[in-house]
Amino acid sequence: MLETIYEALRNGSAMVFYYLSSHTLTCLVPAFFIAGAITAFIKKEAIIKYLGPDVKKRISYPLASVSGAILAVCSCTILPIFAGLYKKGSGVGPATAFLYSGPAINILAIVYTASELGYQIGLARVLASVGMAFIIAFLMSSIFRADDEEISHQNSGDIHEKENSERPSLIKSVFFGSLVAILIIGASGSIAWIPKLIIISTLTLLLLTVIKYYYKKREVKDWGLETWYLTKMIFPILIVGTFIVGIIEFYIPAETFRPYLGTSSLSSSFLGSIVGALLYMPTLLEVPIVGTTFGYQEGVMGEAPALSLLLAGPSLSLPNMVVLFKVMKLKHWLVYICFVIIFSTSMGFVYGIVV
Amino acid sequence: MKKIEILGSGCAKCRKLEKNVKRAVKKLDVEAEIVKVEDITEISARGVMTTPALAIDGEIKAKGKVLDTAQIIKILRG
Repeated sequence: MLETIYEALRNGSAMVFYYLSSHTLTCLVPAFFIAGAITAFIKKEAIIKYLGPDVKKRISYPLASVSGAILAVCSCTILPIFAGLYKKGSGVGPATAFLYSGPAINILAIVYTASELGYQIGLARVLASVGMAFIIAFLMSSIFRADDEEISHQNSGDIHEKENSERPSLIKSVFFGSLVAILIIGASGSIAWIPKLIIISTLTLLLLTVIKYYYKKREVKDWGLETWYLTKMIFPILIVGTFIVGIIEFYIPAETFRPYLGTSSLSSSFLGSIVGALLYMPTLLEVPIVGTTFGYQEGVMGEAPALSLLLAGPSLSLPNMVVLFKVMKLKHWLVYICFVIIFSTSMGFVYGIVV
Repeated sequence: MKKIEILGSGCAKCRKLEKNVKRAVKKLDVEAEIVKVEDITEISARGVMTTPALAIDGEIKAKGKVLDTAQIIKILRG
């Protein structure tokens, strides 16, 4: 008895080391810095304005589908923005587009999925999420057009805080560009480590120069703090969660799920999206859950159910449904959940056929 | 007595803001009631989309930002 417990714990810690190995950290650490910079330097209010009711649909819909990447680095920022959009007049369309794609396309989730589960499914996840957000938004607003008209167009009483000192856009591009380049080059497997080290040090030097001459001390401090808040919020849960994933794998090997999720059939895609919709998965933990608990990495889980689970997972969970229930009208709520499940299933299924 | 509200769903940033508010109140030695507003419906009803937000006597003073103690003191002094 004691021995199996010991073995289970060992499996748990092995899992933590596996999922947070050095190649993962070279991806995740820059990604956290980028996410921190996004939170600190990009004016959220400015983007939210473009999702409002007075903006043309051909701008607000696509923008709502992709803005999750910029607006919502952590899932706890999504609900307040969603509630605001939903209640204060941008209509059910852009609000649900944002609600759906936000958690799925933030930079941390993209980087982590691609580095652990493979670039192909990482890319499929991003594209399918944006596509689904757009389709769901379009359908929701077509069905509930009448509701949109009765939502009050009252002013949300925005307070315009003093803008940051304006920097030339070239400087902003160099800043974010070099951060992203560090991330991509660091993660790339095809560059030998000596040139890699040289390129990365050069980029870091460039970044530091830009920071020194164009960013105030106060702003750099904000950036550091934002990065730290994110790390503090996400990392401990990811480590504990991965540890638990390891223990669960010891007692319930992924093979158990093979009969249900092993193929790319329509029924396993459906099951994948139901599991994703109900299960609460803290930010990033969806990756070890798909990779190990359901055995995607060992080829136990089929491509289709894996993508279905990743599509339905981060956007829906039981606790999240409860909060949404309080914010949304009942019929909106029901239709939204059904759409997420239906489209996650079909996107996964199609992906399974294609690959 | 001032009523200071911290609006946010209880993430790390909201707790940090609360800490800074408490420090500012102590430094200024004013009487203040500090209230946490965590209900999402109420937060959005107040026109706040980016948390954490700070309200003093019902008026939103800042949102989407963790103000530091010095900034809060400045706001409290008006």
